[in-house]
Amino acid sequence: MQRRIALVVLLAAALLVPLGASAQKPIKVGFPIILSGPGALFGEPAAKGAQMFVDEINAKGGVLGRKMELVVRDTKGQPDEAVRVAREMILKDNVDFLVGTLTSAEGPAVSVVAKENKIVFIAPIPKTDQLTAPDKLHPYVFRVASTTTIEGRSAAEIIAKWPVKRVATIAPDYAYGQDVTKSFVEHLKKIAPQMEIVDQQWPKLGENDYTPFINAQMAKKPEAVFSSLWGGHFLNFTKQARPLGYFDAIKHNMVAGGEGASPESTKAMGADYPVGIWGNSYDAFYWDDAATTHKEWIQKLAKYTKDEYPSSWPIQGYMGMQFLAEAIKKANSTESDKVARAMLGLSVDTPIGKITIREKDHQANRGQLYGKTVKDPKYPFAIMKPVTYVDPTKFMD
Amino acid sequence: MPDPSFLFAQSLSGLTAAMFLFLIASGLSLIFGVLRVLNFAHGSFYMLGAYLAYQVVQWVGTGTGRFWWAVIGAALGIAILGGLVERLLLRHLYAKEELYQLLFTYALVLVLGDVAKRLWGTGQLSISRPPGLTGALEIFGTRLPHYNLFILILGPAIALGFWAVLHRTRAGRYIRAAAQDREMLGALGVNVTSLYTGVFVIGSFLAGLGGALVTPVKTVVPGMDVEIIVEAFIVVVIGGLGSFWGTFLGSIVYGQVLSFGILIFPRFSIFSVFALMAVVLIVRPWGLLGKPLR
Repeated sequence: MQRRIALVVLLAAALLVPLGASAQKPIKVGFPIILSGPGALFGEPAAKGAQMFVDEINAKGGVLGRKMELVVRDTKGQPDEAVRVAREMILKDNVDFLVGTLTSAEGPAVSVVAKENKIVFIAPIPKTDQLTAPDKLHPYVFRVASTTTIEGRSAAEIIAKWPVKRVATIAPDYAYGQDVTKSFVEHLKKIAPQMEIVDQQWPKLGENDYTPFINAQMAKKPEAVFSSLWGGHFLNFTKQARPLGYFDAIKHNMVAGGEGASPESTKAMGADYPVGIWGNSYDAFYWDDAATTHKEWIQKLAKYTKDEYPSSWPIQGYMGMQFLAEAIKKANSTESDKVARAMLGLSVDTPIGKITIREKDHQANRGQLYGKTVKDPKYPFAIMKPVTYVDPTKFMD
Repeated sequence: MPDPSFLFAQSLSGLTAAMFLFLIASGLSLIFGVLRVLNFAHGSFYMLGAYLAYQVVQWVGTGTGRFWWAVIGAALGIAILGGLVERLLLRHLYAKEELYQLLFTYALVLVLGDVAKRLWGTGQLSISRPPGLTGALEIFGTRLPHYNLFILILGPAIALGFWAVLHRTRAGRYIRAAAQDREMLGALGVNVTSLYTGVFVIGSFLAGLGGALVTPVKTVVPGMDVEIIVEAFIVVVIGGLGSFWGTFLGSIVYGQVLSFGILIFPRFSIFSVFALMAVVLIVRPWGLLGKPLR
């Protein structure tokens, strides 16, 4: 008798297990991101932030009772590779959503894949305006990154206050560099008509010898420069520009867009960083005037990444995942169409404060931190002081 | 008309780039000239040289003279690696078709690239300029960093040293002879096997040296292997594969075209170089100073 009961229990269990397992099937999220080359400096920590969110939410029981699972793949920073990887994740790994990409070449390319496959895609980093421009926008693409319009105009506002006349730009020659420089120049002409753009340099993305560009720019004798060379590209540029006297010639009057003042950049450069220039960053662990929620976030992050000076990029990966999870909750479904609709107008309490996705163009009001870099005896690398969060709302058309 | 000091600065920057390229391309050209192997992995040796230099700096610190230990250490390390690769692996492929050698060196690129990623990660590594060479020289209204000046002197010095070895020593005579007719040289009783190893070791040494020396100017990062091998190939194609002075000339032409190309086609800096290579390939397929293949 007892044996028979045991058998029945076993049978029932056997029947239940697969059912239980299917209810427990994780929500898979594909995260294509650059993990090699000069962009890895930013890509790797961004992926870590996404993983951190997944670990956190899974510890709390997941979303709609299902765990989340992150599939991270290297895009090598190439749009064609990003597209290949995104397709592979959709077809082979059966991911339900896409969050990720870093460069402004990859973002719009993966957006097309998302549109074809009707899969929600949240871009946490690419800034080009083209990603959410009216002709490229579709129901499944969203952005929690800043934009080239916001960044270009923010930089113009800073330079417009300087007592200079001759302004130059240097930018990587692809979507991001072109768009952000255009926004910068247009806005500067509007708010500071007395200033003149005397030179524009366009090294290719990934250029490794900037010297000819540096010489050419110095020959035009600019008094201030807006740079949008990002990540490792900016490091290479600085390493070559500093000994040529470039920063002395412009009296360190530079706004280094492309997160030129992020802790990653100043850390990697160490003593070679041109202290005194202005720059921006998505996050700063040393941001003293930040809200308490941000301070808690930094503590969590430092613990998670085992880094006492945590990176500024995890916040973007984290936010991307946060928006996705909140949208799934709001939609009470993992169906693409429902989640996509739930994303519209969605507000989320992110580590940097409340951020909202606009219905109009699926764009979050994500601004950045700006500041002049200084040496602080507390840290072995340069920091921004004071740190100012530039609210993007007034720069968003 | 741009002012002369700017043109001077631009040509100096081109020359500096050229001397770096020459260090790499000369090893590539030497190995091809003697062993008749197109060594794709030459760029990987260059990259590993940079990583090794970084590693040694981590070990010995950045005090006076430490950078030079790192440079020599890295170059020697890569020379040994090159010797091992030639002795243990490449040797078995000499009798096979050239295609097999190409495939083998290409496989090496992939393997060494992954090894570097495993050991040093994918992030960017950076070394500061060595103490003593951090300043700059003021000439004709432009600034020439001391380190660049050092490279500008080192390049021709290595070229001359090389030339002296090739033309004034017994080993040099053997190397030139091996490039002409290796069977005849073997028949005359010269140990061609160790000569090959020696040449491969020297070529690898130069790649490692170039990689180590470039670290104060550029960051160390995965992918620098493929980048440099493309440039080095362009240089040897322009100058003439296997031709020593051709490589020197090719490097200088490459550097200058790149520097001044951006003045004419500001947004197509690379275009000028490829255009030049195409012209050379059409007009003189064997390169500026090369000889037509027998």
